[in-house]
Amino acid sequence: MKKGLLPLLMVILFYSDSVFMLFFSEQAFDGAYTPVPRFFLIGLLMMAVFFDRNTAIKYGFFFGFLFDMFYTGLLGAYFFFLPLLVYITSKLTKWLHGTLPVLFIIILFDVALIELMIYGLNVLVQRTAVSFEQFAYVRLIAVLVLNGLFYMIFAIPLRNAFIHLKKVFD
Amino acid sequence: MPQLFTNKRLIILLGSIILLVAMIGFSMRDRDNITWPEKFVKDVTGFGQNIVSKPASAVESFFDDVQRLRHTYEENAELRSHLEELAQLESDVTRLEKDNAELRKVLEKEESLADYEPVQATVIARNPDRWYELITIDQGESNGIAPDMAVMTASGLVGKVQSTSKFTSTVQLLSAHDSQNRVSALIQGESTVYGLIEGYDEEKRMLQMTKIPSDSTVKKGQAVTTSGLGGVFPKGLVIGTVTELVPDEFGLTQTALVQPAASFYDLEHVMVSKREMTSVLPQEEDRQQVLIEEEGL
Repeated sequence: MKKGLLPLLMVILFYSDSVFMLFFSEQAFDGAYTPVPRFFLIGLLMMAVFFDRNTAIKYGFFFGFLFDMFYTGLLGAYFFFLPLLVYITSKLTKWLHGTLPVLFIIILFDVALIELMIYGLNVLVQRTAVSFEQFAYVRLIAVLVLNGLFYMIFAIPLRNAFIHLKKVFD
Repeated sequence: MPQLFTNKRLIILLGSIILLVAMIGFSMRDRDNITWPEKFVKDVTGFGQNIVSKPASAVESFFDDVQRLRHTYEENAELRSHLEELAQLESDVTRLEKDNAELRKVLEKEESLADYEPVQATVIARNPDRWYELITIDQGESNGIAPDMAVMTASGLVGKVQSTSKFTSTVQLLSAHDSQNRVSALIQGESTVYGLIEGYDEEKRMLQMTKIPSDSTVKKGQAVTTSGLGGVFPKGLVIGTVTELVPDEFGLTQTALVQPAASFYDLEHVMVSKREMTSVLPQEEDRQQVLIEEEGL
């Protein structure tokens, strides 16, 4: 029964991105910045570090697939990038110690990486005409600030939740 | 190199890159609507999204209401001044509508490009990665919504339906960067000027209306509406007002910058317009029929 809490937690994180968009006015800061919530990605990476890497990869595939179909309509992007990021992160945490401050840097790196990859893909398929400078100033910085704040608030509860779930599963 | 092929990870990586390219190619195709597995996934995800976003928007609109309450007095004073004009306008509109209906009857031309049936819808999600200017609404095929229908708010046109599933549809806003995102429009004035709405100026936040003949005179502040000539949009939906007119790069046509009447941000409730007059092309099954009949001739 308690094992159902893991998918439930991930589903909540999955929808939290779009719910954040409902609350957050797009006209905030006069529309000068485009902060993008990457809460699900952060949760997924915490899962990879504190729970289990292979389960996180499976969740990455599944929810990446849902994200592509439901929100963007460009199939394959998140489906491929989310598991890749899980893999990269798990390698990085093996070299560096997986403490919360170190993980903060790693997760910010991952968030920047996914933004860059999605931007690159959009330029490649000509779905956007945004220049790189514009992308960096309008989007990248705002995204890092927003998701950094999210991590600072939710890192400890998420870590405790995943450690607890790991005990339940073992 | 035999060890290259025993490297499981490399094979998985290569396989997924091929899959990625194939899937992107598949979804970038010029297609009318999404396939049924996609529709199914959209319906299931949309169901969950509905459960999550309806209470969330209720909480949000409560805070909005509280904020609005503070400006009630000023708003009321302004609205009262408009109210007197409104009574006159309303009687004019009913009179003209009646005239129009009678004249149409005389001409035996009952259908008009301007007729449409609005379907109310609530925005349940906005694309969280904010690249494509897509929103998801809670009405779908079961309410008669089909791809390419016009989507508007009370103040004007905001976009068109991109794809539909049984209970949800995805709407592409006019501000999206997509070369296929074109709307046939007209500028109202002494003589009507036709053009195409295509593209959005991100910096100035204006729509670009292109292909305006270079000899036509357009004044600042003239209203821009849909022309109904594109085939799917009804005629007369408000798009915005002209703010600037610039010649295009070859000097053959002009481009007008149009201030959109509706805000593309923070949308909550929208209307999807079902055009009543059938489009020029018959439905696909009917087309087949036409071909067969022609063969018989």
